[in-house]
Amino acid sequence: MYKSTNIGKSLTKVSFVSTIAFTFMFTSIGFVNADGHGVYGPFPITEKSYNGSKKNSVSYGGQIARQLQHNALKKLASKGNPNDPTNAAEKKMLSYLNTKDKSKTLAIMDPSPSSSKFPVKQKMIGDLSGGANLSGKADKRIQTSWPGNMSGVDVIKFMIKKAGKTSGGVDTRNGMNYPQLISKYTMGAVLYHQACDNYLDEKMTASSKPNNKPYKKGAYYTGKEHSWDEAFGYWGAAAHTMKLTAAQSYDIAKKKDLKSADYNNDGVVDLQTEMTYAHAYYASSYDKKGKTNYLKNVTKAFIDGRQLITSADGNKLSKAQLDKIQDYVQIICSNWEDVIAESVFKYAGSVYKDLGKIEKALESGSGMDGAMSKYLKHWGELKGFAMALQAGPDNKSDTFNRLNRMMGFGPLMPNLSQVVGIDSSGNYIKDQGSSIGYYKVHMLKIQKLMAEKYALKAKVNDATGGMAALLEKVGTKKSAEND
Amino acid sequence: MEFLTQIIDTIYENFFDPKKRVFVGYLLSAILISFLWLFIVKKKTLIECFRKIFDKKIFLSKSAKADYMLFIINIIILMFLSPILITQLAIATFVFEYLHSQTFLMPIDVNLQYLWLIPYFFTISYFVLDDLTKFITHALMHKIPILWEIHKTHHSARTLTPITIFRTHPLEGVIFVIRSALTQGVVIALFFYVYGNNITFITILGANLLSFWFHLLGSNLRHSHIWINYWSWLEKIFISPAQHQIHHSIKKEHHNKNFGVTFAVWDCVFGTLCTSKDNEVSKFGLTKNENKYEHNVLYLYLSPFIGMYKIISKHTLSRFQNTNKQTFTIKN
Repeated sequence: MYKSTNIGKSLTKVSFVSTIAFTFMFTSIGFVNADGHGVYGPFPITEKSYNGSKKNSVSYGGQIARQLQHNALKKLASKGNPNDPTNAAEKKMLSYLNTKDKSKTLAIMDPSPSSSKFPVKQKMIGDLSGGANLSGKADKRIQTSWPGNMSGVDVIKFMIKKAGKTSGGVDTRNGMNYPQLISKYTMGAVLYHQACDNYLDEKMTASSKPNNKPYKKGAYYTGKEHSWDEAFGYWGAAAHTMKLTAAQSYDIAKKKDLKSADYNNDGVVDLQTEMTYAHAYYASSYDKKGKTNYLKNVTKAFIDGRQLITSADGNKLSKAQLDKIQDYVQIICSNWEDVIAESVFKYAGSVYKDLGKIEKALESGSGMDGAMSKYLKHWGELKGFAMALQAGPDNKSDTFNRLNRMMGFGPLMPNLSQVVGIDSSGNYIKDQGSSIGYYKVHMLKIQKLMAEKYALKAKVNDATGGMAALLEKVGTKKSAEND
Repeated sequence: MEFLTQIIDTIYENFFDPKKRVFVGYLLSAILISFLWLFIVKKKTLIECFRKIFDKKIFLSKSAKADYMLFIINIIILMFLSPILITQLAIATFVFEYLHSQTFLMPIDVNLQYLWLIPYFFTISYFVLDDLTKFITHALMHKIPILWEIHKTHHSARTLTPITIFRTHPLEGVIFVIRSALTQGVVIALFFYVYGNNITFITILGANLLSFWFHLLGSNLRHSHIWINYWSWLEKIFISPAQHQIHHSIKKEHHNKNFGVTFAVWDCVFGTLCTSKDNEVSKFGLTKNENKYEHNVLYLYLSPFIGMYKIISKHTLSRFQNTNKQTFTIKN
């Protein structure tokens, strides 16, 4: 009896230990198969020529510095003052556009370094990188979406100049909301453009930035590793995004969720690895509604791609590896493009709604200040994102031409005037536009165009979505029947 | 295989989707109504009721068998035709965009207090307007000779069963699809423009509230051998099953009467109403004497084309003769 009880106990123990061991083993395998690291970095040093002490080859401080310069530009664009003879606002904006903060003179403006609710690790742009600016990386092509045949950086400079001289950054006469225009366009012309039209484009070919050589002389990362990291930095997702829900990523960008942001539990948010920025923020805003998964699709492809490059162990990537990288690039850039197209769709819907309110205010003779303010903000977002979309690698000229023609260079104002160009002094030229009703139809057509040309799923503010749903509900008559 | 699955799905949908007239629930309610009518009003015995309702002479007649064949064949034909037909969404989008260019009808802000009323207003309006366009289309099918040639297929039925609604020439099916798309597209676009996202259909089991009740209260008895009539005053508002059976009658005085589907008011207004009082039906169909081929499927599909050809050639010939006559007169 005694013996059999002991054997029973031993068997129970063995079973228990085995169960724990197997569970651990299988969950570990499952975890690795699911998302590998699950976090973007650290990744080991594979660059063979490097002899230093660094253990992590990941580096994208310059890109995060640009994310923060972009945030600062948006904040400063609303500080314009037409009565300031020193043009202080413009000068400050230009310093965030042009300066490489090696001497650490540019303070981080957003997120606020003095916030106690959302404390951040870095205080100055130079804390992330002393060699990064926005102007050097802006799209150099002529921008047909903006009057004046300017290059991308010239468009930003033009907008900055105008914003500096405009009270609050909003030109109510011409309908330009510069904080929105500057922010959204910079997101496209620098961040999206650099990632998808440079680092993930030319630099992912066999001959450019090879993996068996350092990115630059003496670097601790290979050509391909760093190119990939830089693109990830422009995407703007926290390194631990895969461990978060879309709503958590969104709240991090809004500085509302310190707990989710602080992945290493050091009490502060590391702005390089623990923050959500720009495009990743917009992706999270759509994903949290549940219809899309842009943020994780892109972030996972970045992690998988980086693992693949790391697995080459500092050797040149094979044809098969380069092909696989192209698959990841395709996921990243098509999802990224869709996120921007979703934004164009969303704000075309907002503008449509705002115009309806303006029409009613005009009809009733009531005040329209509130409606106008929203209209100009939303139009600025619409225009900025539409311009951003055109900064990508694909020149969908027919789509872009139609998009630009329908929204114009400026919003249709209640007196039916609209910016149609700029003169040699940089002043806007205006002409009589169409009716408000006609301009509203243009917004509907912009939504239709986006839905046709891009794989949109979120479709926020769908102006005719309710109508399509009703038709769906009533059903189609497919059979021949008499009544 | 996929093709076959699609056919089976469509057949299944017709009988198991409450949006469809021959949904089993509506068929059962029609049986129940017939039974109650015969048992309580007509004082028939249970056996007599059963024999009358499930009369195999009706359901296994040559005419009924042709109906069943057309039901299946039309599904196949419409499967090919549907993709090329204009969709309600295209029409709705066109109308919705057009509405932005006018100032007569403008979007309105509804007082929150009355917001709940809008779906009811929309559901009723849609049902009424849909019924009106059905009336107009049906009247045109009778009044325009070429269209009558197509619609004759439906009227060639000698026995009426709920499946007789499918005894329809595919060309007529196309006309009905276009009518339905136009009505849906225009009405929904108009309401959506004015009321925005406040509009929605009030439905029961996914079917329009009023369609549901129309079908549940015996719409299938319109095409049946059960003569159920209403009070005369009610037959001036709603079309009774008996009134639609009058519409199928061969009697000359019944021709071109009762085009309405749900509402009789349209017939009242246009002078085509015929109530059931003193209007018993002796026989359904087109002629007194049966045509040897009238239930032949091939004949049913081809005869409208022959009929249309005859009309067109007759018309062309008469125009040619008129021209010749005029030329002759001028020469003289």
